[in-house]
Order: sequence, then structure tokens, then C-alpha cells
Amino acid sequence: MNYNLNEIIGDQKKMKGKGFLSAARTLVSSMVEEKRLLILAFLAMLVSAVLSLLGPVMIGYTVDHYILPGDYHGVLVFSSILLVMYLISLGTGYVQTKLMGTVGQRMLYTLRNSLFNKLQELPVDFFNQNKAGDLISRINNDTEKINQFFSQSLMQFLRSILIMLGAAVFLLTLNPELGLATLAPALGILIFTQLISPWVKRKNSLAMKTMGSLSSEVQESLNNFNVIVAFNRRDYFRDRFRLVNEENYKASLKSGLANNLLMPVYSFFSNIGQLIVLIFGIYLIAKGHFSLGLLISFLAYSSNFYNPLRQMAALYANFQVALAGWDRIRVILNMQNNMLVLNAEEKLEKTETILHFKDVSFRYPGGKEVLSGINFSLEKGKTYAFVGPTGGGKTTTASLIARLYDPVKGTIYLDGEDIRSYPHDERARRIGFILQDPFLFSGTVRENILYGNEQYQHYSAEDLRAVIRDAGLESLLERFSEGLEAKVQVNGDGISLGQKQLIAFMRAVLRKPDILILDEATANIDTVTEQLLEQVLEKLPEKTTKVIIAHRLNTIENAEKIYFVNSGEVTLAGSLRQAVEMLLHGKRDS
Amino acid sequence: MKTSGKKNGKNTSGIFRVLKPYRSLIAVLVLFTMVGNGANLVIPTIIANGIDAFNAGDYTWRPFAIRFLTVSVLIFLFTYLQSIVQAYTSERVARDLRKKLSEKLSTRSYSYILKIGPSRLLTNLTSDMDSVKMFVAQAVSSIVSSLIVILGTSILLIQINWKLGLTVIGMIPLIAVSFFIVLKKVQVLFKKSREVVDWLNKVINESILGAAIIRVINSQQQEYAKFIAASKSAKDVGIAILTLFATLIPIITFVANLATLAILAQGGHYVISGTLSIGDFTAFNSYVAMLIFPIIVIGFMSNLIAQASASYQRIDLVLQAPDTLKPGSVESLLKGNIELKNIHLSYDSKPVLKDVSFKIPGGSRTAILGPTAAGKTQLLNLMTGLVAADSGTIEFEGVGLEQYRKKKFHEQIGLVFQDSIMFNMSIRENIAFSDKVTDESLQKAIDTAELNDFVQTLPAKLDTRISERGTSLSGGQKQRIMLARALAMDPKVLLLDDFTARIDRKTEYKIQCNLLNNYPDMTIISITQKISAIKDFDLIIVLMEGEVIAQGKHPDLLGSCPEYVQIYNSQKSTSHYEL
Repeated sequence: MNYNLNEIIGDQKKMKGKGFLSAARTLVSSMVEEKRLLILAFLAMLVSAVLSLLGPVMIGYTVDHYILPGDYHGVLVFSSILLVMYLISLGTGYVQTKLMGTVGQRMLYTLRNSLFNKLQELPVDFFNQNKAGDLISRINNDTEKINQFFSQSLMQFLRSILIMLGAAVFLLTLNPELGLATLAPALGILIFTQLISPWVKRKNSLAMKTMGSLSSEVQESLNNFNVIVAFNRRDYFRDRFRLVNEENYKASLKSGLANNLLMPVYSFFSNIGQLIVLIFGIYLIAKGHFSLGLLISFLAYSSNFYNPLRQMAALYANFQVALAGWDRIRVILNMQNNMLVLNAEEKLEKTETILHFKDVSFRYPGGKEVLSGINFSLEKGKTYAFVGPTGGGKTTTASLIARLYDPVKGTIYLDGEDIRSYPHDERARRIGFILQDPFLFSGTVRENILYGNEQYQHYSAEDLRAVIRDAGLESLLERFSEGLEAKVQVNGDGISLGQKQLIAFMRAVLRKPDILILDEATANIDTVTEQLLEQVLEKLPEKTTKVIIAHRLNTIENAEKIYFVNSGEVTLAGSLRQAVEMLLHGKRDS
Repeated sequence: MKTSGKKNGKNTSGIFRVLKPYRSLIAVLVLFTMVGNGANLVIPTIIANGIDAFNAGDYTWRPFAIRFLTVSVLIFLFTYLQSIVQAYTSERVARDLRKKLSEKLSTRSYSYILKIGPSRLLTNLTSDMDSVKMFVAQAVSSIVSSLIVILGTSILLIQINWKLGLTVIGMIPLIAVSFFIVLKKVQVLFKKSREVVDWLNKVINESILGAAIIRVINSQQQEYAKFIAASKSAKDVGIAILTLFATLIPIITFVANLATLAILAQGGHYVISGTLSIGDFTAFNSYVAMLIFPIIVIGFMSNLIAQASASYQRIDLVLQAPDTLKPGSVESLLKGNIELKNIHLSYDSKPVLKDVSFKIPGGSRTAILGPTAAGKTQLLNLMTGLVAADSGTIEFEGVGLEQYRKKKFHEQIGLVFQDSIMFNMSIRENIAFSDKVTDESLQKAIDTAELNDFVQTLPAKLDTRISERGTSLSGGQKQRIMLARALAMDPKVLLLDDFTARIDRKTEYKIQCNLLNNYPDMTIISITQKISAIKDFDLIIVLMEGEVIAQGKHPDLLGSCPEYVQIYNSQKSTSHYEL
């Protein structure tokens, strides 16, 4: 399955037209939960809009009926009414901003969470096919862009639309002819915006893409800075960075120019609108169809109509950027996990066989076949070793047992049932897999060895100590100066590879799986400590099946059966000596 | 600019330094902004004149329309020109500053990068840059144009009717004060929101980098819970910030409305008493509408400037950090005579190496043996100058390591790291990573690392691209590529960090023979766990908890070092299969 986000974005061009609508629909559907708040906010917004739109009418009326005739008392009365109106809109303004903002933040919260949730759903393949830096940039920067839109612009956007609509209604009711003429330039704005929007959006998503590659470049170079220093390639970082920086500069400049184009155009059209009001309005007054007070109100309404438009032009860039970000996020949200839990169809008899590979073939996406039609079985309680040259397919076989991938062909049976029919939590409980590259989470050693372990999660320090003692892990903890409470930093900096492997080992053992796979899990641990690990393994329940992948012979000497994995095949070696022969002299017929 | 500079105290002065090299661009920007906005101010006057002329009965629409249109076109032209210069300048500033920062970083030591942390530097190069860019793109021209509009409108208002003008202008301090109070509170929240974002990022990063183990353990729920906690704080901070703005914006609108009210009541009085024309009354209304927006803009910009200043300070901290690398001048060739004297090293104030001393003769083979977390890797890092010792000296050919010219020194030292580090480039580029590599030395390295067969199976041979974390390669293949990378420089000294851990025995044996044959004079220092492979080495150093507890040849150590014997015994049972 193709999980490469940067390739998929091309395919989605087809549905670009629907992009905004479907985006809006998703957003609206998440808004439904907030119905009550939204209705309230909308009411507040309506009152504010009506009040602020009534203002100019009142002023126009006052001018015509009190100021021009010279009735100061009336002016004062109307001023008082206006003051009351302004006070009310002070209150509704607060309510509206507060409520709408809250809804916006909650929606963003939902969006962020569902994005993360989706990420958790997707299989390992997804992470292999996308660069970490690019993913991080998508989730951090792009949701931030949407956040900016939500927290700064959405409110203004809605208010602007409402005020514009209201102003348009007033303009048309005060004088339909003049109103229509005043609104005519807005049509130009609409057409213009429609025309350039796709282009602006394209420029913005290009700028975001270059930002993604810039951030993955930095990620790669800085995380591997020791190689850069040791191999004297400081220029390499400089040059590669210069390249992505230059690309980002060009793309950002273009998107900046595109985003800035709207404002001047909108202002121009808005000025034309005012000009029309004046010339046409004065013409109407001259003909006696219109009054000076009304003209002043009209001017106010036309700026009430065009100013929000101009504000929207300023927000438009934000909006386009948010849309581009939304597109990039949506690609992730639309990803389908291809590793679902199946309904169990055929069941083998429950036997002593815990795991069975039947005609299993596998290839990585776009790669050549790594395993071709392999068959083998593992029995309960036995210890197996997988040996073979590097790149022979040992890790792949182990990954299939843990269902990090599904076979391209064939079936894997776990305790007589298709491994794909097990719920994820049960499968994870039954299969322990210590990966070649151990990964530690920032926190403490305790948090790391109890990671994902529901059973011991809430144990008191004392109970936990007992568990650790029973499992025989005490002596391993001595390798950490502060024992369980030793700090683990981000990326496990400051902890040696051997120590990381120890933590990963303890993490897996405490979960007491039915099958425990050690994929070169102790490769960087000294052989004396390794003997301690063996004692720990022996303390595991009798039924535990152990699968050990290793190059060090002493690591595998206790294995009851040895499988030789090479060039897509898995064959049983009779003895350790035979396995060594196979390793040393290539594959031989025995 | 001055007023806002004062408002935010001394920390703002820093951010304006960014603009210095772009003085001429900024000057052009300010000029365009001034012309564009100046022209904008003329519009209400034209309108007022038109209305008054109409009232007076000498109104003709044609000259009026021409004047109005000319000014509109001018406004359009200059605001567009301004936006072009604005985008260009801000992107230039960001690009140049990024380049400057990356070049500075490229000269830093490895321990400096570790200390600051790659993720923090990533933030410096991305979001911090963004806020500096925002400052250049928006703050400069907005503040200039806002000041012009405020100043211009105020003057015009006072000119038309000074009493009414003063009433309207009197509203400005009210707005300024409410801004000041709210923004002060917002600053605190903004700082908090940055911390929350860092927190979110950390959870996201770990969930991406640890994707495999999360799926093995099926701990997605736990990750989700971690994320929800961070996400919820982000939401709460967001709502808190919003509430502040929800108070601020209606207050500003209210004050602006008060100004309108004042014009109606006070101005209406003047019109009735005949001291104000009805055209001027209209103009007053238009000017008030124009006056409010720039005040709001300045308020928001002062906030943006504060944020940009904080970002720039973080960037500047990296830019101004003193150079720790002493260039060194010795360029002589190495033979591999290495001596460490009384080396002490600590990490996070915990001792890693204690009083380590040993001497390695050129052309010899040395092994470093010891339990997990004994400090072996740090020892190699020290010997390659990646980290510096707290005390003690490291000498190559009797000359202190720090006195060598770094480029010359690193060319002669090959280091094979324990972690597989692959770059997202072709295999050829990954191996020929140093610029010193020739076609011959590349081929010799590939032969020695036994990579020929593997490379032949690849679709594009040496030009096959490796994916980011080397996920398409097996552990052993990555290790061999790392070895070839070190060998391709034809180094005088080769340092191997647990190189054989992931290589099968057959290949390991072949590689050992290849090394002896192809690089006979090379000094080899190898961290390893396997005694069988180092029995005939010239020197074996046993390191335990940061201390050298024994050194000598295999037979000597068997006789003198019980710890060595223990390690030996732990591997002995399989020794009858040894080569």
C-alpha cells in the first residue's frame, strides 16, 4: 500500500474542487456537538451586527431630522439611544467572541486529536514511507496554521460576512437602484477572487512543502551531527541546507506575492463603490429622489460593506494557508489502515504449535521479494534461533510474527488461528518483540520498562520491586546509577546502546508474552550481563516460546532448534554445528 | 517606530537590528507605504468637498470623478508596490538569517549541538524564523502606515474643528491603556502556549520515532492519553488567550463608537450653531472610521514585535555563542601513536571516565572491552575530538589533539559508529561521504566491507537511494556501509564501536582478513564484546565503570585479570566453534 504522503497529494488533485466543501462539511459536522453554544453565539453576533448596522441609519436620521432643522434636543435624545445601543453591543460583542472562540478552540482540539488518533491507527509501513521531519512538520506546523486561522481569523471572518450581508440588505432597502450600483464592484471582487484562488492555494501548499523538506533536512543533519563532524563534512550540512533554504525562499516569496495581491485590488474596488455612491447619489438628490442625510448613511453602509471585504482580503491569506494546511492534514486523515482485524475463517486444530507460517511470501512496497513461500512451525515452550547472513530476512520474519506487516501471500497462524483475526491488544499481549533498534520514551527507566504494561502500571514501589525481583531483573537495574528512577532524556541521549537494550529487554520480559522474539536484542550488551539475561529468560513461564535472532554464538547456544534464514528461504538446521557450517560456507545440502 | 520601541523596553531594540542590512529596501518600503496611505487620506476630503460643493450649488461630477479615480489608482499602485517590496524583504531577511544560522551551526562542535538539542535548533530555524519574518512582513509597514494615518487624521481633524478634534483624539489613550493591560496578561499566556506546543511536539515526535514499538506493544491508547493531556492544555491556554481578546475587542469598538457619538452630539451642536459645515461633519465621521483601525493595528503589532523579539533573542543566542573550536595548526601525518593521560569526563555531572590512561603504538591493533555503560563509546568520542575531556590530555604522535587542524585530523581518522546513521542519499554518496574519497579508495572500501555482492543485487547499484532512517536495509548492511564510509577516506587510524555486533561470523571473518590485507599499516582500535576475535590483538584494555582495570595481551590478562577471565568464560562454551 502506498503511504507516501507526497505522492498521494498529487492523486488528490482530482477532488480539489470539492476540497473546500468537504472541508467545510467536516468542520460543520464537528460543530454540531456545540449546537447550543453556537446558537447563542450566533444570536449575539446577530444582535451586534444589527446594532452596528442601525448606527448609521440613526445618524443619518438625526442629521436629516434634527441637525439640519437645528433641533438640538432631538440630537441629544438620539445620542442617548445610540449610547444604549453601543453598550448593548459591548456586551454581545464579548459573548460572541468568547463563545465562537471557545467553539473554535474545541474544534481544533477535536481535529488535533483525531489526527493523532489516525496516526496511531496507521501501520509501521506508513512511518517507513514518510520522513519523520516531514510528518512532524505536517502535524506541528500545519495544525498551527489552522490554529492561527481559527483563533485569529475565523471570528472576524464570520462577523465580516454578517456585517456585509446586513449592509447589503440596508443598501438595497434604502434605495434599490443606488444599492445595486454600489454593490456592483463587489461582483468584480468575487470574480477576481474566484479566478485567482486556486493559484494562491497552489503557491501556499508549495511553500509548505518546501518548509517540510527544510525541516526534515535540519532534522537529518543535526541528529547525525557526529558523522558530519567526524567525516569532516560541515560543508555538506551547509550546502544541503542552502539548497532547501533557497527553494523555500523562492516558494515562500511566490506565495507571499500571491497572498498580498488581494488587498490592493479589494481597496480599489471599494473606492470605486464609494465613487458610485457619491456621483449617483448626488445625481439622485439633485433629482429630488434622495436626501443628504441618507447619502451620509449610504456612504457609511458602503464602507460597512467594503471594509469587511478588505478585512477579509487581509484574512484571505490566512484562510488560504489554513486551507493548504488542511489539505496536507486531510491526506493523513483519509489514509486507510490496511491491517484490519479479520473475521476468523479457517481454524487449525489447537495443538502444541503456537505459531505456523504457511506458504508465506513477503516483499516491502516497491522492493523485491524478501521471503518466498516459507513454511515453518514453532512449538510452545521451546527456544528457537534464527541465524543467517545479514539481509537474509530474519528481521522481516520476526516483524511478520509481530504483525508489523501482513504477508503478501500465505497465512500466519497464531495458536491455530489466522494472526489477522486477533484483536490488536490480544495479539500484542501474546507476542513480545524486542526490536533491533531500541526506542526509549523520555521520562524515567521505570516508565520505560512499564511502558504499555497495564498490569503493573499502578503498582506501588514496593510491589513493583517484588515483581522485578521475581523476574530476576534486579541485577540488570544495577546498570543504572539511579535504578528505576534514572532519567531518560528525549531520544535516550546520554544512555548507551547497551543500556537501551537492557531497558527494552526488561520492558518485554515483564509483559510475559507467549512468544518472545529477541531480534539482536542483546547485540551490544557485554557477554557477562548477557548471561544474566539468560537466567531471566529461564524464569519465564514454561509455555513461553523464545525466538532468538543473533550473530553471537553463545547467545543462541541454548536454542533447541535452529532455523537458517537466507535469500528468502527458512530451513531447519540440524544442530548448532551445522548452522555454523551453513553460515561459514554458504548454504549446503545436508 | 519609536513609540512602540519604548513600549516594549530594551528587548525590542534587538529585533530592529535585523533590518539594518536591508536599509535601502526598508526605505523603499516606508516610502511606498507613506505615499499609499497619504493618498488614502485625501479621499474623505474629496468627498467632503464634493458634498459641500453640491450644497453650495456649484457641483460638476466630471472633475470630481477624475480626481477621485486618480487618487484611487495611485493608492492601488502604491499599496501593491508596497506589498511586493514587503514580501521580498521579509523572505530575504528570513533566508539570509537562516543561512547565517546554518553556517554558524556548521562550525559548532558536536557537544554544542547535543547540549542545545537538535529539536530546539529546528524550532530556531523554522517557527522562530517565521515570527521574525512576520515582523518584517507586517510590523514595519503596518506601523509606519498606522502612524501616518493616525497623525494625518489627527492633524486634519484639528484643522477642521479643533474642539471636536480633541474630543475624538482623546479616545486614543483610552484604547492604548486597555491594550496595554490586556497584552501584558497575554504575554504570559503566550509564553505558556509556547511551552505547551513544545510539549505537544515532544509527544508527537516520540510517537513517530517509536512507531514500531508502539505497534508491537499495542500501546496506542497510552500514547493517545499522553497526547490528550498536552492537547487539552493547548486548548485551555487557547481559550484563556481568547477570553482576553474577547474583552479587548468589544472595548475598543465601544470606545470607537463613543467617538462617533461625540461627533453626533458635539458636532451636531456645532452644525446647528453654524460653526461646522455639514460636509465637514461627514468628513469627521469618515475620519473617525479611518482613525480606529490603525490604533488597533499598532496594538496588535506591538504584540507581534514582542513575540518576534523573543524569537530573535533565541536565534541570536546561537549566533552570538563564542567559538569553542580552536582552529589548530598542526597538519602532520598521523602514524597512529596515541596516548591518553589521566582523562576525566562526566556527563550530566555523573562521572563517565575516571583517570583513564593508556598508550597505543602506531600500526597496532587494540581492543577495548568492558560491560554495558562502562564508558567505551565516550572514549572513542574523546579520541576523535567529538567531545572534550574535563581534564587530562590526548596526544597523537606526542602532539595534543586540540593542536591539530581539524580538517586534516579528521581526514586521517575513520570512526564507525555503533548506531547506524544513514543519510537520505545514494549508497555511493553515503560511502563517499568525505570529500577526500577517490574512485579507487571507494572501490577498496567496498571490497573490504564485503558490500560488492549486496550492491550488485540493488536495482541502481551504487546509485540506489537509501530511505531516511535506512529502513530498507538490514542492520548488518547498514553497519557495513558505515565501515566502508570510514575506510573510503583511507584513514591512518580506524575506530570501531561494537562493529561486529550485527555482522554474521562469515562476513566478519572475511572483513577481518580484508582489513589486514588491504590496510596493513592502519592502527585499529576496536570496541567489542567477542574475545575470540581479539585474542591476537596487540593490546586489550578492560574498562569498567569508567576506569581502566587492566591492559595487556590476551594471555597476560587471562593470568592477571579476574574480570577478564569472567568475560572469557562467559563466551568459552562456544569456543569450540571458533575459527
